[in-house]
Amino acid sequence: MSNLITIENIVYLASFGLILIGLFIVFSDKNLVKLVIGLDIAETGVNILLVSTGYIQGKTAPIFSRTGLKASQMVDPVPQALVLTAIVIGFGVTALALALVVRLYQKTGTLDVSEIRGLKW
Amino acid sequence: MVNPILLIIIPLATAFFIPLLAIVWKNGSRYLALLAALANVLIGIKLLPYVLEKPIHVTIAGFKAPIGIDLLAGPLGIVFSLIISITGFLVLIYSIGYIRDESINKYYTLFLLLLTGSTGMVLTNDIFNLFVFFEILCISSYILVAYNRDEHGLEAAIKYLVLGSVGSLLFLIAIAIIYLKLGTLNMADISDKFDALGGSYRMMVVVLILSGLGVEAAIFPLNSWLPDAHSSAPSSISALLSGFVIEVALIVVMKLVYSVFHAMQVLNALAVVGVITLLVGEFAAFRQENIKRVLAYSSIGQVGLILLALSINSKAGISAAVLQIINHTASKSILFLVSGYFILKTGSYRYSDYSGIAKRMPVSSLLFVLAALSLIGVPPFLGFFSKLQIVMAAAARGSTFYVSLVSLVLLGTIVEGAYFLRIAQVLYFGRQQDTDSGWLETGNAAGIDMESVGNAPVSAVIPVLLLGIVVVFGFLFLTNLNGVTGSIAGEITRALSLASLF
Amino acid sequence: MRRFFSLILIIGFGFYLVTVIGRIPFAATGEAKGSVGVQIVNDTVNDTGAANAVTSVVVLYRGFDTLGEVTVLFLAALGMSLLLKGTEEVKARVFDESFILKTGSYLLFPFIVLFGLYIIVHGHLTPGGGFPGGVVIATAFFIIVMTSEMVRLRENLVSILESLAGLTFIALGIAGLLGTKNSFLANFMGKGVFNTILSAGIIPFIYAAIGIKVGSELTGAVGSMFLSPFGKQEEAGE
Repeated sequence: MSNLITIENIVYLASFGLILIGLFIVFSDKNLVKLVIGLDIAETGVNILLVSTGYIQGKTAPIFSRTGLKASQMVDPVPQALVLTAIVIGFGVTALALALVVRLYQKTGTLDVSEIRGLKW
Repeated sequence: MVNPILLIIIPLATAFFIPLLAIVWKNGSRYLALLAALANVLIGIKLLPYVLEKPIHVTIAGFKAPIGIDLLAGPLGIVFSLIISITGFLVLIYSIGYIRDESINKYYTLFLLLLTGSTGMVLTNDIFNLFVFFEILCISSYILVAYNRDEHGLEAAIKYLVLGSVGSLLFLIAIAIIYLKLGTLNMADISDKFDALGGSYRMMVVVLILSGLGVEAAIFPLNSWLPDAHSSAPSSISALLSGFVIEVALIVVMKLVYSVFHAMQVLNALAVVGVITLLVGEFAAFRQENIKRVLAYSSIGQVGLILLALSINSKAGISAAVLQIINHTASKSILFLVSGYFILKTGSYRYSDYSGIAKRMPVSSLLFVLAALSLIGVPPFLGFFSKLQIVMAAAARGSTFYVSLVSLVLLGTIVEGAYFLRIAQVLYFGRQQDTDSGWLETGNAAGIDMESVGNAPVSAVIPVLLLGIVVVFGFLFLTNLNGVTGSIAGEITRALSLASLF
Repeated sequence: MRRFFSLILIIGFGFYLVTVIGRIPFAATGEAKGSVGVQIVNDTVNDTGAANAVTSVVVLYRGFDTLGEVTVLFLAALGMSLLLKGTEEVKARVFDESFILKTGSYLLFPFIVLFGLYIIVHGHLTPGGGFPGGVVIATAFFIIVMTSEMVRLRENLVSILESLAGLTFIALGIAGLLGTKNSFLANFMGKGVFNTILSAGIIPFIYAAIGIKVGSELTGAVGSMFLSPFGKQEEAGE
């Protein structure tokens, strides 16, 4: 039993769980704000998956400020840089989506997808 | 020799500079954007002969290939950045007269970033960098679709944004798998290592990337956003979105499938999807009344045709597909740009309201009809030759599978001919109005005073005329064009490898 | 019905994810020996002179991505100001807070900005850098805007700062293109003394530009959300 609780399984559980919950909200919910929240949740899941790809067991952050640390003791810095980019892009998309929703709410007075004509997909 | 990275940097820097310029010169962004696009056209023309000989490989920040980011300016990259910048330049001329509201500086900034994103997508040789440029392209098109800030535009933009974001999530998952298994992001390096990967991983990466980029490329089940987005954007932006944005996404994803993932096993499925996309698009276009929705659905049909041609898995097929892309870019841009002024002058989106408009706007109407004929594939226009090449490439494969697909393409062409000729008939000879079904609030059915409809301004006619020259006289340069498209086909079908970059 | 179908779809997708990706172990097994990340960790101190390897990846190795990333933020801020400009309802949401809250936020303001600047300039030495630092600086403005409608920040000034920072980033990149390495964003300055503020060549300068850009972009985005405190009738730059 104990060999099931590894760092890999925890990370996979968290990231897949968040991705699937987020996508389920996106596909099933009719409220536009919840839809944007769903996108954000799924994005978080993908970011966890992406940043975890650089993990190497028992190693530390790739910062050489403290003397005595060697390169062989450090994790992969590339996924951390990638996830920084992915987070910022996700933030931009979310902010833009919320601005669109605010504006659409002012025009139509509703957040329900099924009440807005063009949004039946 | 010019560094190809300037093709990305010039529009980007100009976009950053526009807010500064706006302080001293309110409408200066119009001309600055034109200059930036013109610079890109010139650089592209200068680089084209070099890359036809040998692709230019550019490293960024001075790090060797798999470590840093690099660009690979091959025939595909330079030809597509030429398509992008030439279309962009002409649409910018058109915009001088067409976009006249108070936020034009934002319009031009977004326009340039759209060019930056799509140019970056075709030039980059790094899969995460591709994702970043893909996002720049997507986000600037979301905003531009909502540019008019009317209800339709906002709805379409949200729909587009949600589907596009789900697509980019899938793309990002694929990148995570690639990095987890291969430890690299460089496309050439991925191509070298990809075959050693287990079959299920390879399939998953290909499926995720196809569905991620497929949203933007409007491949069949993922294209429900397209008619709304392309029909509610300003007409100049519709011309870009239909003209090169979907094609860029499509050619990039097919480049990945062929030369990076070597996933020939998905091609037959993609060919079937292409034909379904074609038929869905053409039949849906037939039923539309709104002229921009007709054109948007027709774009879906054309994308299906191009996807089919790209999936034939022969150099002839890909070469024909690129020729078809060139034809579609020119023709569809003409159709959208002209219909923009039809809508502006008559105040109606229904094409049945344009009866007899050809007397008032003779040049625009003539070009509209010529572009439509070229899209249908009537000789001697460019579209005839590209469709002919696609049919011949499919026939050359010899199997009944391709022959039956091609016969379905011909069925789609008949439908396409029917609705375009119906519009042409209305433009020239008029049609009885049916006044009951008000399509849009702007559509004042039969009450349009045709006498008041004037000609489109010069700034709108010039770009349409120039694009018309490509469509009408393109066949004179068919051998040159075939040479270029052939070398693009060669680049796509050849597997990328790290060793060949240096 | 819709819920049911999406549930089926999600379960199918989840099953696919688990069966395919779920079996991949992380790099602990030595699979990552040939990965670019390992090469970067080994070479970064010699190549860039930055103590923080993540920063050297963000700013130099993958600096082109970062340029795209600030462009995405630029786009988002631009889109928000385009979409939200002239919305009436948003203005009604801003109300005057109590004296204590206002004074408190004014007192906090300089310290938050200082903290943000500290994070930015130490980006190549410690965790942090332009993105978190810029966000911290934007937070300072956010607090002021939230609590007080008296502040009149000029949207104009924000967009000038944003443009200048973006152009600085590109100019530093082009300087690398013109320099001896003939490559965009190449590090053309000396590496300096390792682990000091003025080390690692262009990294601190680029990160400072990113910090200013992110800070002004987010401030601008906040400004679009609360249009009224940002100079009601100032048609900035139009």
